[in-house]
Amino acid sequence: MASVRAASRLLSRRTISHVKAISTQYPVVDHEFDAVVVGAGGAGLRAAFGLSEAGFNTACVTKLFPTRSHTVAAQGGINAALGNMEDDDWRWHFYDTVKGSDWLGDQDAIHYMTEQAPAAVVELENFGMPFSRTEDGKIYQRAFGGQSLKYGKGGQAHRCCCVADRTGHSLLHTLYGRSLRYDTSYFVEYFALDLLMEDGQCKGVIALCMEDGSIHRFRAQNTVIATGGYGRTYFSCTSAHTSTGDGNAMVTRAGLPCQDLEFVQFHPTGIYGAGCLITEGCRGEGGILINSEGERFMERYAPNAKDLASRDVVSRSMTIEIREGRGVGPEKDHVYLQLHHLPPQQLATRLPGISETAMIFAGVDVTKEPIPVLPTVHYNMGGIPTNYKGQVIDYTDGKDTVVPGLYACGEAACASVHGANRLGANSLLDLVVFGRACALTIANEHKPGEKLSPLKPSAGEESVANLDKLRFANGSLRTSEIRLNMQKTMQNHAAVFRTGSVLKEGCDKMDDIYQTMEQIKTFDRGIVWNTDLVESLELQNLMLNAVQTINSAEQRKESRGAHAREDFRDRVDEFDYSKPLQGQEKKPFDQHWRKHTLSYVDPKTGKVTLKYRPVIDTSLDEQDCAHVPPAIRSY
Amino acid sequence: MRHSKLQQQVLVLYRQFLRAAQNKPGFVPRIRDEFRENARIKKTDVMHIEYLYRRGQRQLEQLRDANTKQLGSFSKPERPAETL
Repeated sequence: MASVRAASRLLSRRTISHVKAISTQYPVVDHEFDAVVVGAGGAGLRAAFGLSEAGFNTACVTKLFPTRSHTVAAQGGINAALGNMEDDDWRWHFYDTVKGSDWLGDQDAIHYMTEQAPAAVVELENFGMPFSRTEDGKIYQRAFGGQSLKYGKGGQAHRCCCVADRTGHSLLHTLYGRSLRYDTSYFVEYFALDLLMEDGQCKGVIALCMEDGSIHRFRAQNTVIATGGYGRTYFSCTSAHTSTGDGNAMVTRAGLPCQDLEFVQFHPTGIYGAGCLITEGCRGEGGILINSEGERFMERYAPNAKDLASRDVVSRSMTIEIREGRGVGPEKDHVYLQLHHLPPQQLATRLPGISETAMIFAGVDVTKEPIPVLPTVHYNMGGIPTNYKGQVIDYTDGKDTVVPGLYACGEAACASVHGANRLGANSLLDLVVFGRACALTIANEHKPGEKLSPLKPSAGEESVANLDKLRFANGSLRTSEIRLNMQKTMQNHAAVFRTGSVLKEGCDKMDDIYQTMEQIKTFDRGIVWNTDLVESLELQNLMLNAVQTINSAEQRKESRGAHAREDFRDRVDEFDYSKPLQGQEKKPFDQHWRKHTLSYVDPKTGKVTLKYRPVIDTSLDEQDCAHVPPAIRSY
Repeated sequence: MRHSKLQQQVLVLYRQFLRAAQNKPGFVPRIRDEFRENARIKKTDVMHIEYLYRRGQRQLEQLRDANTKQLGSFSKPERPAETL
């Protein structure tokens, strides 16, 4: 104790007397690899060791230790048509996913994902992932939202493979353990600042080492972005504080578009107050949502699927119940999730994690009382646009063009498998399938040890200049104040139900808040472990994501999937699918909304420009798996 | 006066750094500057020295890695000292 006190006295004396000119010389270490992966969550790790397995010299740059990435918090499970609980076919899973996406998903990417699903789950099982088992030792599959048999006509499907209710935790730890077998170089606690782009080609990444404040440029022929989502643009979300959309922002600053950012999923069951997630698996195991009258209200909104309807349908139903005065609690502003009618040992074996979460965050014993829940921001369907192989694309002259050297996978990417709404347990599947797809595409198109294309010696200069500006920022508003303003604005103006006038007001407010970034004030002038600086950089990234989200939402004048407009309640497709197609005239591209939004931002002014790109309606093999033509979506 | 154990370790680290940086342009001046700079730390400030030593070992590992190629720098004109 005495030595610690003495040491701290010495340290404090040292800092007070140490007044020297603060160095503004930034040492830049150059590294050369065959491939660099940004992000070490489920998708990043799978891509990184997939590349190492194929013989590529790979670097994995991550701001968090791999097992701390947000994948670890995923609870529900991973969908695959293994057929362990009943007969199953991946084409039924394909149909469910296309329907779940409200026909905004690209059917070739969905075909790829659902066909690869059983192989992906078996691969994970071979890596040692401890799936829950049935009596005869096969992988236990539970019911999950939006999953059906025989193209929607055969009742509820049980195809979500799970590990009790901590599937993401197991998945990430399994992948991390597996990745140690390969010789990937990990750069942990390195914050990626920007992409190194030259002549429209991505030549690497520039990153800040948080430990010693040095800048590192990772030159590589292939860059994979797997940085996750941006839940933290909202005040109440289930995401970690580190979900700040860094990859989306890096791509935006490089002048490339982001796709479908207005589609933000509100998970029906986030704990009221805390925002912590209660998995959909609870409803899969038999849990029900009840209102103040004790009624299972989902029977009215989704007569067939009831509580296991798609997440956007359930979130909207809950919001309507609360709005019509049937909410619970003193403020009548949430509903209950009831689990105490289930046998206690089923709760203990299949749902141990949420039993504990409910006790800690809501003070509720799930075997006796219901859990208070509210729709909470959970997932971003949108992200960096890619094709089904994982290559990042731009849309010029009416065609998709591949950006050479750049790939994306996971929540950061938009392949687009989830379209306007994601089905539960499809995200973990998306991570492993497209993480592997990026590695396979790179292995097909390139060889290990390829010569790197030349790079300007001053590449990355603007990123360092921005870093320096933020480090010495001396305005009037703290980072936390600007962040709170942004979060409250997004929460109030771009929530479950959206209205034109409220969205417009939100866009103007967000524009003002974007301008206030000029008056940001940081306090820590050092370069070693400067968390004030890193949080400010993350805020810059969040801002770019937030302005694109709210502007895209304001422009989209229809309701589709998770984007529900009060003033435009219907889906606007090229035909009216509620009536027979005979005799209907196809609407031109600019008069319907079954298209992807591509958003660009000018980082200096915060002005958002929008373009639109058609949805891919053909599967990879029409003979094997015919595409699903659009129809009215009801559960 | 003989060097203490800790001083000897730091000198060994310095030698290892210089050897590792031989064929990689740009590192040697920075290594020299860092060690010169930190030589000002008092001998008795063991916690600080050991922290820098551990950090130095990690940086040495990275320097030795075949993928680390060179060191450059981005710099701004010197600012006047901030009064605290």
